[in-house]
Amino acid sequence: MADLHWTSVADLARSIATKDVSPVEVVRAHLDRIAALDARLRCFITLTADAALEAARAAEAELAAGRSRGPLHGVPFALKDLFDTAGVRTTGGSKILADRVPAEDATVVRRLAAAGAISLGKLTMHEFAYGPEGLNVHYGTSLNPWDASEERIAGGSSSGSGVAVAAGLVPFALGSDTGGSIRIPASLCGITGLKPTYGRVSRAGVLPLSWSMDHAGPMTRSATDAALVLKALAGYDPADPTTSVLPVPEYSAALTGDVKGLRVGVLRSGFVDAAVPEVRDAVDRAVKTLEGLGAHVDEVTLEHVGSVAAGSMAIVASEALAYHAEWVRGRPGDYQPDVIERLRAGAFVSGVHYVRSQQARALVRAAVDAALARRDVLLSPATPIPATRIGETEVDAGEGTIDVRSSLLRFTRPFNFTGHPACALPCGFTSDGLPIGLQIVGRPFDEATVLRAADTYQRATDWHTRRPPLAP
Amino acid sequence: MNSVDVETLQRTARLAGFDFAPSDLEPLRSAIERALQALERLEALPLASVEPVTQYRVV
Repeated sequence: MADLHWTSVADLARSIATKDVSPVEVVRAHLDRIAALDARLRCFITLTADAALEAARAAEAELAAGRSRGPLHGVPFALKDLFDTAGVRTTGGSKILADRVPAEDATVVRRLAAAGAISLGKLTMHEFAYGPEGLNVHYGTSLNPWDASEERIAGGSSSGSGVAVAAGLVPFALGSDTGGSIRIPASLCGITGLKPTYGRVSRAGVLPLSWSMDHAGPMTRSATDAALVLKALAGYDPADPTTSVLPVPEYSAALTGDVKGLRVGVLRSGFVDAAVPEVRDAVDRAVKTLEGLGAHVDEVTLEHVGSVAAGSMAIVASEALAYHAEWVRGRPGDYQPDVIERLRAGAFVSGVHYVRSQQARALVRAAVDAALARRDVLLSPATPIPATRIGETEVDAGEGTIDVRSSLLRFTRPFNFTGHPACALPCGFTSDGLPIGLQIVGRPFDEATVLRAADTYQRATDWHTRRPPLAP
Repeated sequence: MNSVDVETLQRTARLAGFDFAPSDLEPLRSAIERALQALERLEALPLASVEPVTQYRVV
């Protein structure tokens, strides 16, 4: 097979199963790709090449003996460095945990191994997942592969995951999402990132940022691949009491390529209208594409969504400081500056603020449920702006300047607040060649419909098939 | 809400169990002020009969 590094998860799995390509060949192709590009892109904190090749040889032997572990047999992937991996350090992108070697795998890591996937290593991230830009002073900031002339952010916090998938270093990666940390890098890097419903995928063995807002999910180059990976990840886990016992559907079977009659609510006020013009135009074109495919489109306004920024800040800041308290007291100098500032801010959120924020959460959740009572999905841009230059804190949006950090979080964070599933996928490019992301939000535990809408859109467009110039 | 000075922040942090130096707090002061004002605005929401939640309807 040509260009193994650009081959999809689905095609790799199929070709490995039919012995058209061997797992060793696939893993070697991706390791070669990493060797050629990672010094520039800075995706990996820990590369486990030897273990991956050993696992690939075992996978090949199993196939030769007529055994397959599962639907991802022999397919390589990599993980944001906050998923515990037995015997392999898990740093959270921090100096504080630089030498931490877990004894056990996170549940999702075990599930991927059981499905036959092979880990190539651990990916960089915003330190402790506490930032949407993807900055990391300890291991290097992953570089957005779409701009060869400027150093631009990948988006975070799952920055290494976004870049590694976009640049063909891995066919899929795992990310986590507390305010948009899967969907923001997916939007800025031009890939497909799915934040499942809260409770759909286990968080056991995942370093927390904010227990009640954290989600784990797949980052891929298509909705088809996201469906395959989600199937392997999802389901009840006794080690995570917030996981649901609802059965896990066959997500791939839901990808019918048909959205006729699908009821789509466009979030215009506060979402599409708040994006920069090129993003707005691309999302409007995506809406027209779905309408042309037979979807019924109307516009909807979410009540109380203005309370999300304050409420999320109070919840995340309190929960994050509770987790980090001893290190904030004893090792403040070991954090990168922006992260220690955010952690310190948590000391000024009162118990009443925290509870008010959880009450506001109930209101916003009810508002999203109400919007979805007569619609199947909601649509918005994934981020109001494309990737900014590293170090830029404000950008000129034509109608005034925008704060980069709060802007990146603005459209994704509401659905961490409410727990609804949401997928980011590419829907165009700016005149500078930077990806623009669309967000599709669904009903709780209805990832199947979200993925069907995303997949049908991808069948009708080619944005997700474009490759970045830094990674030919 | 009145503006918050660094001394007040330092005292508040101490009550919460954190000993932050004034130089740690000065860069945060205006952001904390804005955050507290935004949190105050939550009081205007119709929350009287709303129970706080932390999770989706997990079943």
